Amino acid sequence: MEELTAQLSEANEIIEAIRKGEVDAFVVKNEDKHEVYTLQSADKAYRIFIEKMNEGALTLNKEGLIVYSNSSFANLINIPLENVIGFSFKDFIPAAYKKVVAEIMKAAWQNQESKGEIMLTGKLKTVPVLLSMNMLEIDGGMALSVIATDITLQKETQQHKKAMDKKDEFISIASHELKTPVTSIKGYVQLLRFNFQKEGNNTAAELLTKVDVQINKLTNLIGDLLDVKKIENGQLQYHEDRFDFNVLVDEIIEETGRVLNKHTIVASLAESRIMYGDRNKIGQVITNLLENAGKYSPSGSIITVQTSVKDGKIKLSIKDRGIGIPKEQLGKIFERFFRVSSETENTYAGLGLGLYISSEIIKRHHGTIGVDSKEGNGSTFYFELPVAP
Amino acid sequence: MQGTNKKIFIADDDADILQIIAMMLQTQGYEIDISNNANDIFNYAEEELPDLILLDIWMSGIDGREICARLKKGQLTKDIPVLFVSANSSIEEIAKKYKADGFIAKPFEMDYLLDRISSFVTVQN
Repeated sequence: MEELTAQLSEANEIIEAIRKGEVDAFVVKNEDKHEVYTLQSADKAYRIFIEKMNEGALTLNKEGLIVYSNSSFANLINIPLENVIGFSFKDFIPAAYKKVVAEIMKAAWQNQESKGEIMLTGKLKTVPVLLSMNMLEIDGGMALSVIATDITLQKETQQHKKAMDKKDEFISIASHELKTPVTSIKGYVQLLRFNFQKEGNNTAAELLTKVDVQINKLTNLIGDLLDVKKIENGQLQYHEDRFDFNVLVDEIIEETGRVLNKHTIVASLAESRIMYGDRNKIGQVITNLLENAGKYSPSGSIITVQTSVKDGKIKLSIKDRGIGIPKEQLGKIFERFFRVSSETENTYAGLGLGLYISSEIIKRHHGTIGVDSKEGNGSTFYFELPVAP
Repeated sequence: MQGTNKKIFIADDDADILQIIAMMLQTQGYEIDISNNANDIFNYAEEELPDLILLDIWMSGIDGREICARLKKGQLTKDIPVLFVSANSSIEEIAKKYKADGFIAKPFEMDYLLDRISSFVTVQN
């Protein structure tokens, strides 16, 4: 009798609660699933708000049972709503995270806002979420509100960034490690050459000059890899100062001419101007354009270097009599890793980084870089830079 | 020979590099002191007062940058030119930051090394 009275009294309380809009849903427990009857409450506006938000939202009772779940939470873990409501929140937490979640819940029950990144057990895979819990007072009864924000994308971005950082670190270490033996090889080669020259053994000295040229190519490739890494990370440092443009061009022609000794470089320079920028890097661009001209044109042909000044800008162009560039490849020539190829000519060495680096350097100096070319008819690469004010 | 009586100190943890730089400098008649342990460089620099110091940036756990900064603070050593010699790709920024007088990036040209050194030791006297 007493038991019956108690049950009746409980039923009355429930009916009263439903009238007041305090109850969100009824759960009828069956063996394999729970049936959920959701009720319209007085707070319809908030209900829509919570139902429509992208984050998963739950209400937990003191026992940790889910007494309310929005559909986003069910979608998040890819489990039907009726298999969420009425179940213990712990059922959706993988063993490794149960302790963390228990701590978050404990803090929340002490009326502290508590957050943590955890995983939820979904139907197919676990889902990383940011969990945020707050204690709620519902007409004298206490409950926990839970917001679960899907952070799959953030995690993926973080992992991608970590992988990229690792790659950058690897390039830094690798280039340092490559440079160390190259430094020794170059040093010994130069000492040997010095000694042979002193003894008058010019043949041996010339052979060692050829070795030295190849060592420099290797050094430049290592430098290009580092430059690309720095450009991508915005770390390429520019050391700007005033310098005389023609002095730089003459210097580069002399240096590169020693390597391109099978070509004839003809220079026709306008009156020099004072420039403001990174002298070494602009020199690197001129070297790159000259070396390309040599690489893609036959031995014995002429490479023309020309400068002109117009409207406060100096233009340098380098014309070769080489294979030229097919029209459809012209637009891509300044892209990273791009290398000119054709069906007949396919054997040009290089990483496809030089023009990319050059165009980045020229852009940084507020200049423009470009090319005119016709397949089989040579190429003219040029850049334009503002002269110093 | 232009370098006669000028004393150059070289600190690098790579024995090959020490040998290479020493041999290159000897072609110009410089007097050479080498060390693959930069720990004792302060005492050495204060006692011997070399005309120039070539310093690797990273020597088996010893930080050449700190050594440079300390040399530049020392009363007796602050006027000795210090050049960093390193394969570090940020050598130019590091040289500026730690008040080195210049830098030589590895790998280097023999002519460039000799030119740089002669420009410092010639100015000094």
